[in-house]
Amino acid sequence: MSHAVGDMLPPFTIESVSPHAMQQWAVFLADPNPIHLDVEVVKAKGLGDRVINQGPINVAYMMNMLMRAFPGGRIKAMDSRFLDNVYGGDRAVVTGKIAAIEGNAVTCEFSLDVDGRGTVNSGTATVEI
Amino acid sequence: MSDLDDLPPAPDAAGTSLDGDKVFTITAEENAALCRSIGVEPAADGSAHPIYYYIATQVAMGKTVAGVCEACEFDVEDGPMMGSSGVRFDVSLKVGENYRVTGEILSLVRKRSRKLGVMDVLTYRLRLHLLDGTQVLETDNVWVLPRKEFAA
Repeated sequence: MSHAVGDMLPPFTIESVSPHAMQQWAVFLADPNPIHLDVEVVKAKGLGDRVINQGPINVAYMMNMLMRAFPGGRIKAMDSRFLDNVYGGDRAVVTGKIAAIEGNAVTCEFSLDVDGRGTVNSGTATVEI
Repeated sequence: MSDLDDLPPAPDAAGTSLDGDKVFTITAEENAALCRSIGVEPAADGSAHPIYYYIATQVAMGKTVAGVCEACEFDVEDGPMMGSSGVRFDVSLKVGENYRVTGEILSLVRKRSRKLGVMDVLTYRLRLHLLDGTQVLETDNVWVLPRKEFAA
């Protein structure tokens, strides 16, 4: 498959961010922070009225987009910035495009956007294809 | 950002060791559950989801998140926030492989922000190694520690 600078990558969509997945990730991360598990804690802290997705899950969504866009490829490097929270029930979409190609290394720019609130994560990555 | 002369400096946390003494193993069962929790199937070639760069280093570093915050004289209950995360892979992560972590706090810098007021920006670096010492990846994480005690 050929690639060119400026090519848009196929989006990766999460139709509804899962509070159940947050419970699983509390175990994976060995981090039982209640803002990911208990909506009453989120309310008490004034952070909203839904549980908040763990940041690394958002990074994983972006990695999923990259891995689907380049089957058999390998992420060599990735940098991502956290701009806002993602909440349980959000519809989130990762989009990206090719920013540079050098040999078998493709550099991509991408973002994670949530319906109604815009970009909540963004970053760049280099994928070896 | 504005003048910080009226504030005490951030605690001197740079250089704090985050070397771990635990071995972290990505099990096939957990990798499969993790992948499915985020809408993908686990790879068939034995590679683990690359997000384990973050999970393995955090779980097997030498301090808990609360302990890292404590080294910065910050109460984890005050809500540290992720600012950014970067990773450089030398090789792919594999299911069934055993890993160990080394690392350190790189810096703790006090700043003012319009949105958060006074905050300390924590940067720490973690490396994941095979048990023979071969480096697998290096990751830098930046956390924002809001300093509510300095609110105007």
